[in-house]
Amino acid sequence: MSASLAPECNDVKERYDTCFLKWYSEKYLRGAEKNSQECAGLFAEYQKCLKVALKDRGIDKLLDEAREDNKENDVRLLSPKNN
Amino acid sequence: MKVFSNAVTYNYSWDEVSTANWQKYGPWNNKSEHVVAVDTLSRSVDPATGILRTERLISCKQSAPEWMKSLMGGSLDDHFVYEASYVDPANKTLTMVSQNLTWNNLVSVQEEVVYSPLTDHQTQFIQSARITALCGGWQRIKNSIEDTLVNRFRENAVKGKEGFERVLEMSRIVFAEEKARQHRETMLVQ
Repeated sequence: MSASLAPECNDVKERYDTCFLKWYSEKYLRGAEKNSQECAGLFAEYQKCLKVALKDRGIDKLLDEAREDNKENDVRLLSPKNN
Repeated sequence: MKVFSNAVTYNYSWDEVSTANWQKYGPWNNKSEHVVAVDTLSRSVDPATGILRTERLISCKQSAPEWMKSLMGGSLDDHFVYEASYVDPANKTLTMVSQNLTWNNLVSVQEEVVYSPLTDHQTQFIQSARITALCGGWQRIKNSIEDTLVNRFRENAVKGKEGFERVLEMSRIVFAEEKARQHRETMLVQ
């Protein structure tokens, strides 16, 4: 797995990434489960660590702007396809 | 504005490619030194469509040409990219859109990548990037900035394919080993 931009978050990030990858390949792609409840705890822990790092570096504000710009993509790519 | 386009066929199923994609910048990839970190910012499955939406922050370090550094000032080498991806398991498509988070007052880079099945054992990767220099002033400078970034995309695309091929190969080996291990465990239990 790749590293986190915040070294202090690396450990929990790696545990979350491993959990997600297992869920994605074994459950999600097989249509078994819509949401990865089994990884939710690890994700919350990882986000708690990461949010501090993003704020400290001022990246949180840049992300807010990017999300705003990306809204059109969300509309286009989250809509159901008819093919 | 300049456009960079690229298409690659991988001899792996879409399931394999879309799974390995999450590990693209991990230790198996020895051609992605410019990506120093990948962080997941949010992740959710749309209950109506089953589409998995993920937001990631990609942290990069790649040295910029000296003339661009002196023009823009500061540490141009470090930059951040925001990526939103959408996995549609029903239609077997993975679409990733990304934009630069830093230096975006000077240049806008918008990239879109789509992975979709070509056959049961082959997946097509289609990439396009739109690069627009936004700084006022001479057209020649704008053109140079855009050309430099198009060349960077071209170089990274070659490395990206080589690196991802290796990730796909390793991923298949590890998956086969894991399956064999699970099989042995099942046999022991019985």
